[in-house]
Amino acid sequence: MTELPTTTDTRRPAFGAGRVLIVVYGIFAVAATARATVQLIRDAAEAPLAYGLSAFSAVVYLVATVALAHNGRRLRVVGWVTVLFELVGVLVVGVLSLTHPELFPRDTVWSEFGSGYGYVPLVLPFLGVAWLWWSSPRRLSQANG
Amino acid sequence: MDLVVAGGYAVMVGCGALGLWAGIRALRDRAVILKQLIAGGVVEALLLVQAVAALVAVLSGHGLAEPEVFWGYLVVAVLMLPAGAVVAIAERTRWSSVVLLVLALALLVMQYRVLTLWWATA
Repeated sequence: MTELPTTTDTRRPAFGAGRVLIVVYGIFAVAATARATVQLIRDAAEAPLAYGLSAFSAVVYLVATVALAHNGRRLRVVGWVTVLFELVGVLVVGVLSLTHPELFPRDTVWSEFGSGYGYVPLVLPFLGVAWLWWSSPRRLSQANG
Repeated sequence: MDLVVAGGYAVMVGCGALGLWAGIRALRDRAVILKQLIAGGVVEALLLVQAVAALVAVLSGHGLAEPEVFWGYLVVAVLMLPAGAVVAIAERTRWSSVVLLVLALALLVMQYRVLTLWWATA
């Protein structure tokens, strides 16, 4: 058996302001999941596409929250995928809900760029991308010299 | 005024005070301290008392217009301050104070919704 070299990582965890973003992501993920669940239980048949999309996006927000909070190598990739998915989703559905309102007879979390949710769905992915870029281990290690 | 409403007002006052305290500490670049966690524990106890009171009242005949939404808010509200405590322990910078401020404000708004849902009887 060869002894593994022991090293001590004295760097601070790369969080700080990011924790606030993670908590806001978490609150929004829970709120979106709860609302989508209620909509699906009550009247799924009214607008299956709109409500199904809301439920799916809510799950993506939950995964994004876990990925951002964990901040591991693989979950950071998951974080990038989920946050970019949200960004694309809010932009595409936001435009479609204005140009083709008949596609979404009921509001989704992304309709009209998330106006039903105080535009939080529009702002969060941008903050998520900014955070993932800022907290990148490669960038941080280069910045620290 | 029943225990749910009284508890709701008490939670709102407690969250306002806790949020103010956390906000001041965030501005002064200080992390959350144990005294704030104890204060949060008091608010958490109020939330639990309110939830039990609501359960008893509903079981003995208080009708709710939107029961799923009401119980959703109560369950999530109970989970929020423990999450803040986890962050307070992990993050020993001013940002734990900002997190506590955000959670206190969210709880305040949620409690307003809880009370309007409570008064909207079926």
